[in-house]
Amino acid sequence: MTPPAPKNIKQVDESTLGISWNDGHDSVYSVKNLRESCPCANCIDEWSGEKLIAPGSIPNEIRPRNLKAVGLYAIQFDWSDGHNTGFYTHELLRQLCECEVCKTKKMEN
Amino acid sequence: MSDPKLQEKIIDALKTVQDPDLHKDIVSLGFVKNLNIDGGNVKFDVELTTPACPVKEQLRTECETKVQAIEGVEKVDVNMTAVVRPTEHSQPVLPGVKNIIAVASGKGGVGKSTVSTNLAIALSMTGARVGLMDADIYGPSIPQMMGIPISSPKVGEENKFFPHEKYGLKVVSAAFLTKQGQPLMLRGPMLGGIIQQFLQNVEWGELDYLVIDLPPGTGDVQLTLTQKAPISGAVVVTTPQEVSLIDADKGVKMFQQVKVPLLGIVENMSYFICDGCDKKHHIFRQGGGKTLADNFDIPLLGEVPIIEAVSEGGDSGIPIVMSNPESPASQAYKDLAGKVAAQLSINQANSGEKVSASFELDWKS
Repeated sequence: MTPPAPKNIKQVDESTLGISWNDGHDSVYSVKNLRESCPCANCIDEWSGEKLIAPGSIPNEIRPRNLKAVGLYAIQFDWSDGHNTGFYTHELLRQLCECEVCKTKKMEN
Repeated sequence: MSDPKLQEKIIDALKTVQDPDLHKDIVSLGFVKNLNIDGGNVKFDVELTTPACPVKEQLRTECETKVQAIEGVEKVDVNMTAVVRPTEHSQPVLPGVKNIIAVASGKGGVGKSTVSTNLAIALSMTGARVGLMDADIYGPSIPQMMGIPISSPKVGEENKFFPHEKYGLKVVSAAFLTKQGQPLMLRGPMLGGIIQQFLQNVEWGELDYLVIDLPPGTGDVQLTLTQKAPISGAVVVTTPQEVSLIDADKGVKMFQQVKVPLLGIVENMSYFICDGCDKKHHIFRQGGGKTLADNFDIPLLGEVPIIEAVSEGGDSGIPIVMSNPESPASQAYKDLAGKVAAQLSINQANSGEKVSASFELDWKS
């Protein structure tokens, strides 16, 4: 089975990103949470997986400046704090989904 | 004058002709063009998605037979043509290239360059416009196999350069960037730069297929290409034995991770036919390619036998599909070309809605 791929990526409001997937799922994200989940080697220790972003260090005003596709498998964000080294794979974005259904599921686990 | 009733009957008859790969009839697919009825003489074009279509003759015969059977038709003239459809992308790199095929393997020495060269020539022999990029920066062997002497590429405007041309193929290789026999000694990050050059600064022109011969492994070159080039599909080459399969398995998984569609597996050096006994000897064991393909549920695109003339062709610069088109190895390469082209057409037909590799969004605040 092929994993779901984004069909449409759009800005919902000033601080919310929306992705609709080709399996019918609709995801929403707070952009601040996305910045905090950056998977790059500066933000997550490559060997231990430990999060290196200090809690509370990402300001509420953080916004992406630009998003673009990386090949066929990921999205790269250029953030307003100048950070741009994270490649968010489609799988990661799917895991980070903050829609009501996914949030409830995460709470249950 | 064309009889509207007859035209209707002909279209109805052609609606019963199915494309076996795309699972639709050739009228709905829009393949039937320029239908011309003159009394009992019927002429039309069937425009396929690739000149390398493996079932071209079968389709022609079916069209002829079915139209000929209609009352009032005396003579049928079917003209088979092809226009290669592009894989959707609008990236700034390679704008004139319709399909990019990456030839990879996990392990070295399985015959990637031999497969790439013969695949590219077999595709071009069908009438397609084909380019060949030698992305094996440390061990470029395409110029030798294509019989192209080492010389600097011709430079055009704005830092662009032109590919070398031979046998109707456009060829780019790192070997042309150094003096004959000199090694390119570079650290990893430099490799990405050279690949970017190949993608952005080469005047490829209009191509139906660009075949990229990758270096072995899953490193810098592979990553740069999958991130910067809109690859339409990948072919993974392996030899039959377990030791090769372990690495080929990783090659397949790499493409799965970066979402490059896998066209299938090619098993090279599958068997040796003895000239004394005509028996197939499975020197590197049997069935490895099939097992790998089955594990990932992807097609086994071909099994290429070990034939001395294949290496001879590589060394002399006249690839076997040219020097000896009837050899079993050449036949395997021609079949491979047909299957690769067909698989690309199938993928395009089923691609559905997806964010393209050219997606970009500016955030408004």
